Amino acid sequence: MKAILTDVTKCIGCAACVTACKETNNLDKGKPREWQKSDGLSSDNWTSVLRKNDTYIRKQCRHCLEPACESVCPVGALHRTESGAVVYDEDKCLGCRYCMMACPYGIPRYEWDSPVPYIRKCIMCHDNIAAGIIDQPACTNICPTQATIYGNRDDLIKEAKRRIKSDPKYLDHIYGETEVGGTNVIYITSKDEKLDFLTYYTNRLGDPEKKYGYPDITQSIPETTKIAMKSVPPAFLGMGAIMTGAYWIVQRRMKIEKANKDANKVNNDKNNEVGNG
Amino acid sequence: MDRISKAKSVLWIILGIAGAVGITRFIFGLGVTTNLTDNTPWGFWIGFDVMGGVALAAGGFVIAAINYIFGNERMHPISRAAILTAFLGYIAVAVGLLFDLGLPWNIWHMMVFWNPHSPLFEVGWCVMLYLSILFLEFAPVILEKWPERKLLAKIHAMLEKVKIPIVIVGIMLSTLHQSSLGSLFLAMPFKLHPIWYTPILPVIFFVSAICLGLTMVMVEGLATSYLYKKEEHPYVLNTLRKSAIVMLLIYAALRFGDIFYRGADKLLFTGTASILFWLEISFTLIIPLIIFSTKGINKKVSWMFVGAFSGVFGIVMNRLNVGGIAHVNNIAESATFYLPSFTEITISAGVVSGAVLIFFYFIENFNVWEEKPVDGTLEVKSIPKFSSNKVYLGSTKVTNRIKFSFFFVIAFGVTFASISGSTIENKGIEEVKVTKARGGDTLIIDGNRDGFAVTFKHEFHKSKNIECGSCHHMNKPGDKSTGCYECHSGMYSEGDGFKHDWHSSSAGAGQSCFKCHDQNVSKGKGFIKSIKKAKDLCLECHEDMFVKNSNIDKYETFKTASYADAMHGLCVNCHEETLKTDSTLKRLKPNLANCSNCHKDDYELKVKQMRGKKLMNKSVILP
Ligand code: SF4
Ligand code: SF4
Ligand code: SF4
Repeated sequence: MKAILTDVTKCIGCAACVTACKETNNLDKGKPREWQKSDGLSSDNWTSVLRKNDTYIRKQCRHCLEPACESVCPVGALHRTESGAVVYDEDKCLGCRYCMMACPYGIPRYEWDSPVPYIRKCIMCHDNIAAGIIDQPACTNICPTQATIYGNRDDLIKEAKRRIKSDPKYLDHIYGETEVGGTNVIYITSKDEKLDFLTYYTNRLGDPEKKYGYPDITQSIPETTKIAMKSVPPAFLGMGAIMTGAYWIVQRRMKIEKANKDANKVNNDKNNEVGNG
Repeated sequence: MDRISKAKSVLWIILGIAGAVGITRFIFGLGVTTNLTDNTPWGFWIGFDVMGGVALAAGGFVIAAINYIFGNERMHPISRAAILTAFLGYIAVAVGLLFDLGLPWNIWHMMVFWNPHSPLFEVGWCVMLYLSILFLEFAPVILEKWPERKLLAKIHAMLEKVKIPIVIVGIMLSTLHQSSLGSLFLAMPFKLHPIWYTPILPVIFFVSAICLGLTMVMVEGLATSYLYKKEEHPYVLNTLRKSAIVMLLIYAALRFGDIFYRGADKLLFTGTASILFWLEISFTLIIPLIIFSTKGINKKVSWMFVGAFSGVFGIVMNRLNVGGIAHVNNIAESATFYLPSFTEITISAGVVSGAVLIFFYFIENFNVWEEKPVDGTLEVKSIPKFSSNKVYLGSTKVTNRIKFSFFFVIAFGVTFASISGSTIENKGIEEVKVTKARGGDTLIIDGNRDGFAVTFKHEFHKSKNIECGSCHHMNKPGDKSTGCYECHSGMYSEGDGFKHDWHSSSAGAGQSCFKCHDQNVSKGKGFIKSIKKAKDLCLECHEDMFVKNSNIDKYETFKTASYADAMHGLCVNCHEETLKTDSTLKRLKPNLANCSNCHKDDYELKVKQMRGKKLMNKSVILP
């Protein structure tokens, strides 16, 4: 399974990856529009370089091992390939934008300015690699400092661990090793710059994990809907059973009542008759 | 005009406006016509039209259950209206969804490409099936209008026979998708604010849908009785009120129990989210419960309407909050805090108006109620008299028709005419012009800040093949991994000489370093050569770098602030070469960093000269 390791300490912020990605994937130059987030990603920018103090952090799709986008798309327009890349099939998409809502990293972007809009995000250069045009993603290929590299996920995790061990400047954490079930795009960083943009949760609320009933940060997103989805058939049938039962009981009661009434009526009639007679 | 035709006129006008606005949505796309952003991809159309609409239509299954399953025959007077509301509600949901989907013509894909893991897939299917069920439930009302047609009568009889199974399947489907709308948001644990995010979201959605169904049926009953001047059914109203109280209390217990159980109560009084929450709770629970349970006012029709409407509003607000407004990313990024745009609200209003008009149509033409409303104005009471200042258009019915179509057409036309395509299309684009290189032909540089300056001719230096980049940007040579900013800490602050940040940021020119710098050469000694590339590159955009007949007619201070020193260093570098060959200079060994020590006269002379020749309008003066 292929992966990308980005070593934040090595990035010089030259944004060569951004331009290479644009060239390789034939992306438009794009104009800054008001619907874009401040993180630089847009339907024309599949990767961006964010500056935080004196560090640069490259942002792109994490290619989750259990992608939220894949599990929520009602038509299966997004799916994970064997190589580990999460790719998009625009012929299936209906533009509901559920994937954008569900992605824990806020990655998929929309072509808001088009009357025929599609979802856009990094696809780990899957098409080009599968076609044999390039042997690694354009972004990792061009990086002048090898801050971002491509390889097998296991090897890259080993390499990340080696780097963390060999140099005390590194923070002892591999971002993406376990988060949301693990991702294929992993990060290591220095102790001075903890990465918090990786999840909205730690970023925006600033609270420790596992509070307020939030799921574990390592729990994959498909896991969160699983219980609800599993209880669909029992709920459906259960409701049917309850309603049928209720109907049956109510009808029976009414029948009995009616019978009683009829009986009363007959009695009354009889009494009346008797009285009359 | 009587009440109902006033109401209809307003609805037709809204429909006209929405029609015109709706067209822009399909021509220009979602971005410019809505306030949706990459940060909040779901907005009013999902929150109100779809989630609110489905919940509003919950009256259909709730009343069907009370009426047919629990055999409360006395609720019968409103059951048909409730089913009709549900049917039209779901159609409105579908129409609203067509506006919201990016590729609405692909909506049928949901039937072909399956992803059963997706809650949205399940909701989609349930809604489709339930819409068919509702159609079957309502069909008898239409069919019974023509009892003399044999085929229709047969179908009618058949439908009546399977009525109970149909109702039961309808309830089953409703249970599922009402709650699955909540499951949609289970997938957003890191986005939906903790006050709202809970594993029991589906249950909460289901219960609140029942509350909404009950209050909505009340609102609808009271409103139509008012419009058609019809008596309310006190028994029906009272039953609804009592059930609403019970359901609202259950809902309150669920909501608060869940919040306290999870420990999210710590967030109940902090930040924007808590304001949203308490607004929602006041509308949903506090106001209706007070009104419904206070003796005296809970029999008054107007108060009941206020209470029921407040309940409806509150739960719709809950759907909007869960649907996007109370999302952590939305609350945190105050710059892009989502509020629906005019277009979004108009189109939703139009969809609702359309549904209400169809509702009126059915009420007037079919036996939705026990009897059709008699509209006094529709009868021709007397033969109209022709007067010179009144135009007779026909019977009241015809007049109304003409009036309504007139309103629609005028509203449509006026709105359509007032929409400016180019304004819409360019919404949100900052005018990013390629800035004129402000140097002009001749720069006067006061390098050592002694009040005397030397002149610097851009044209001349260009002819010597010295590159723009030699002065306007530098990097630390021979260094591979140091960020440029480490030396050039001013790089990302705005310098007058060269706005590096603007050139590199994706919101500006969006260029990578290696657009100008040769990444291979920057490793070694050839660095200065590497930026020679920059000459043509700058000129690619800054065509007017060398101002030919510019009209700068003011003296302006263009100080080269953060790059001043770097540039003077560069002057020295280049002029050192001259120093080696010029015999006079070799002897004098001047301090090259202080050019104006010697070239004092230069300033006076050149400036005077230029003034004399009226050339100063081509130059930029640094005093
Ligand atoms: S980061 Fe988001 S878009 Fe990328 S694979 Fe994961 S869920 Fe999908
Ligand atoms: S927008 Fe397209 S890709 Fe995304 S979830 Fe909807 S159908 Fe799937
Ligand atoms: S992997 Fe390919 S698509 Fe993704 S950011 Fe890199 S160049 Fe772009």
